[in-house]
Amino acid sequence: MIELALSAAVMISFLAGTFQFGYTFYVYNQLVTAVGNGARYAATRTYRAATPQDVEKGAEAIRNMVVFGDARPDAAAVPVVATLAPKQVDVHWVMDPSGAPSAVDVSIREFTVNAVFKKFPFTGRPGVEFPYVGKYAPSEKEQ
Amino acid sequence: MNSRRTRQRGFILIAMSVSMLLLLAVLGLAFDLGRVYIARNEAQVFTDAAAMAAVSKLDGTAAGIARAQAAVAHLPGRWNLGTSEFKGVVVEFSADGTKWESDPKDASGVKLARVIAPDNNLEITFLRAVGGPANLRIAARSAAAADPPRWIE
Repeated sequence: MIELALSAAVMISFLAGTFQFGYTFYVYNQLVTAVGNGARYAATRTYRAATPQDVEKGAEAIRNMVVFGDARPDAAAVPVVATLAPKQVDVHWVMDPSGAPSAVDVSIREFTVNAVFKKFPFTGRPGVEFPYVGKYAPSEKEQ
Repeated sequence: MNSRRTRQRGFILIAMSVSMLLLLAVLGLAFDLGRVYIARNEAQVFTDAAAMAAVSKLDGTAAGIARAQAAVAHLPGRWNLGTSEFKGVVVEFSADGTKWESDPKDASGVKLARVIAPDNNLEITFLRAVGGPANLRIAARSAAAADPPRWIE
């Protein structure tokens, strides 16, 4: 009985560890994919900057692309990573001296993976910088 | 009865040893393969960004090639759960996609850029205990074309 108790404790902690890391890595991999897709979208979409509100609307579309895989999700849209919300996504434009966007940084500000036995917080990652190759439209408005 | 019980003693230890090996393999699959998939994904996202950074600098001149190489060298990108920098990144250029060169002699017709991140050496933690490799090389490659800048691979 003592052998069984000791063995069971070791085996259960092994199984818990397997689930914990497996699930955390699975979620992190989904975050990498989501950030990459959002950054690719950001790098090619038209940068409309008639007003600061238009720039913010553009950033919101990018956040939605990261979280929902859709720049204009409907109300029933489900995040690609459970519990991820647009406010947890950072979009930062790198501007050249002329004021035009030259690159865009997209990253996850703060996200905690709840792996039941332990929580794994990620701050500022995953993140990626893409060069901006879209159309710069300083006088256009967002729809 | 007594001798039978004596013979059965230690069975759990033997069964446990065998099970531990199997559990280690399962843990290795979850832990190490999880990291492999993440590293592969991170490298692919980086090479996509790098290929686009390179191709956006091409202008048919040798200076454009140099700017493309510098853009890739200065592109921030990390792998291994965002903890390691990419090393040994190769940037190649081509006019038609058949012949790729790191430093093309004639830059006038160059319209394609390809970035390879070949040196991402991931250390394997658990799978090597059950016969897996000690390290795994995770490579990724992307190519992009100019006018307009777009990914082609």
